[in-house]
Amino acid sequence: MSEAEAWEVSEDECLKTRAYPKRSGKEEPEEPIVEVEGLSKHYPPATKAVDGISFTIERGKVFSLLGPNGAGKTTAVEILEGLREPTSGSASIFGVDVSHDYNKVRKRVGTLPQNYEPFEMLKAIEALEYWASLFNMKKSREELVTLLERVGLGAKIDAMGGKMSGGEKRKLGIAMSLINDPELLFLDEPTTGLDPKARRDLWALIQRIKEKGTTVVLTTHYLDEAEKLSDDVAIMNHGKIVAHGSPDQLVEKYGMATLIVLVGVGQAAVDELARRGIDSHRENGNVVVPVTNPRELRTTFAKLSSVEIEFKDMYTRRQTLEDVFLSLIGQKMDEGVLRA
Amino acid sequence: MSVTRIVAEIKSYGKQYMRNKSAAFFSFAFPVLMILIFGAMFGSGAISKMTISVQNLDDGPYSQAIMDLMNKTTLVNIKMIPQGADVTEYIKEKSLDVAIYFPANFSEEISLGMLDSNAIAAKVVLYGDPSQSTFGTVASLTGQVVVQMNYNMAHARPLAEMEVRHVAKENYSMMDYFLPGVIGITVMTNSMYSMTAVCASQRSKGYSKMLATTLLRKDEWLISKFIFYTILLTSSLLLTYFVGTLVFEMHSNITVLTIVLIAAGAFVFTSLGMLLGTVIKDAESASAVAGAIGFPMMFLSGAFFPLEAAPSWLQAISKGIPLTYFNDALRDTMVFGNNISALTNLAIVGVVGVVVFVLASRLISWKE
Repeated sequence: MSEAEAWEVSEDECLKTRAYPKRSGKEEPEEPIVEVEGLSKHYPPATKAVDGISFTIERGKVFSLLGPNGAGKTTAVEILEGLREPTSGSASIFGVDVSHDYNKVRKRVGTLPQNYEPFEMLKAIEALEYWASLFNMKKSREELVTLLERVGLGAKIDAMGGKMSGGEKRKLGIAMSLINDPELLFLDEPTTGLDPKARRDLWALIQRIKEKGTTVVLTTHYLDEAEKLSDDVAIMNHGKIVAHGSPDQLVEKYGMATLIVLVGVGQAAVDELARRGIDSHRENGNVVVPVTNPRELRTTFAKLSSVEIEFKDMYTRRQTLEDVFLSLIGQKMDEGVLRA
Repeated sequence: MSVTRIVAEIKSYGKQYMRNKSAAFFSFAFPVLMILIFGAMFGSGAISKMTISVQNLDDGPYSQAIMDLMNKTTLVNIKMIPQGADVTEYIKEKSLDVAIYFPANFSEEISLGMLDSNAIAAKVVLYGDPSQSTFGTVASLTGQVVVQMNYNMAHARPLAEMEVRHVAKENYSMMDYFLPGVIGITVMTNSMYSMTAVCASQRSKGYSKMLATTLLRKDEWLISKFIFYTILLTSSLLLTYFVGTLVFEMHSNITVLTIVLIAAGAFVFTSLGMLLGTVIKDAESASAVAGAIGFPMMFLSGAFFPLEAAPSWLQAISKGIPLTYFNDALRDTMVFGNNISALTNLAIVGVVGVVVFVLASRLISWKE
């Protein structure tokens, strides 16, 4: 099986299941390759872009920094990439302090910056050849073609960067960031501005990268992206990490476990439920009844069946990161912007 | 420092540069076009005849004698303005740059002047717009013709005359003097304008941050750009020189010093472009800012127009512009063969280049 074929995991297959494993709590902790302790970046006079954050990232995991625009995600990641000097605190990769010795880890790290666009007047294969040279590597045409095939650009080998679609440009950027076979890959908002199809393509690609054993640090403001791809998520707001854990852990810790959704009813139903002592709220034209303890599901259903409410349908759903985010931040997020 | 990375950077940048049609145009087609256009205008040395409008209200012989002398110069065609027309209105109506007017008593006043040494000299009047180059030419010509007529009537001859001698080789054409200016402009515009835009767009498109994560060092990047522009502009110079020599039989020399000067020019203007690029946020503003700096430099350096007659403050500004020394050095070695003077000017260009390079390499940042 060729290297490119080994990467052939269908998009559906990798999106069917969540990327992160369920944690039993008995799992042996993996070796942390990124360690951040009390990291801050302040800009005078009073901007605290990053404000005392701490986290570790284990080898082979996908770690997401999730938050609205201006939360401090990119600043934090750029400190780890050696692009910014921290005001205080420490950040190390592979045990090396990045603010002093980043050169020691440069060859082991790949980077896709935010808003990256490939060189307009270079063909995809030329861009990769050039990038390999900047790491003192000489790659054969076959190796470069294989890499392009791995990221789904097998048909775009001779396409100019400027003639590619938004999704293809990001894929080429990811291919460039993989040229040195990095152990750690930083992807700063890789899907921002892409259409849903292109986003799903990139998710599948990131999943394949993870399955090859590469540790991925992802910054994103898409909740579904973080939830689908991440083993660990740190939610940032105003420079601070307000919550950290696997998506499951976050939902368990900050969410309300299960929601019963009553379809096709309005405010009158909320009022009626309140009279019966059942807490509920309206959401997207439906009425939602949160059940904090799964053991109360049966009794809640019993209570609901006794209420005279004409609903079109009723179903339960598990809470998502979106619900967690809303409960933690108090606002919804749309394309990185907090909505009231 | 890694030669592999520098070569990779030159190759990659070169491919991108040459695939950009406008960049390739300004590197190769623009200087050749400049030489061809200016050569067609001035290269042959032949001057086309000017048309001068004349209103003659004088019925005596002297106004006609002046017009005959003018015709003899073979430089002008005389077109008569109707006697009944108001000369100032006629000039406005026909948008004339210049017109000559002989008053009704012109010959009579000359005759009186010959008899009476206290009589007022007869006047031939020149109307026109002094800002137009035609006006100056006609004024000079008319002045010389009137002086010549005075000599003729006084049966006198000039006792001193001007003789023109070329300081460069006898067979040098005007295009030989013009070529260094074209090279100077080409070197400045190509290296400075494009580097300003490159630095700005690298930052806005995230290239700089990506570069900062590779093994490529900033000084390697800067050196690769300097080498690329030296190769590009030397090729451009050779092409322009070849076309100029083929079409206009130019005889100016391309010496080793000329190539060294091209390298020095690429160095100073590439560095200047990088320096400008450090303060410009986006590629769209880059060309405007580079133009705002480049155009005044173009004119104040004396590349095309001598500044000896310019006000002293303008000449002082000219002395503060690296392009002035670069053009002078090119002219010194290519036209006058004065390599000592060229080396002096080269030293000034080099010192400015080092200062700007150090500033640019310190200020340019791929990181924060």
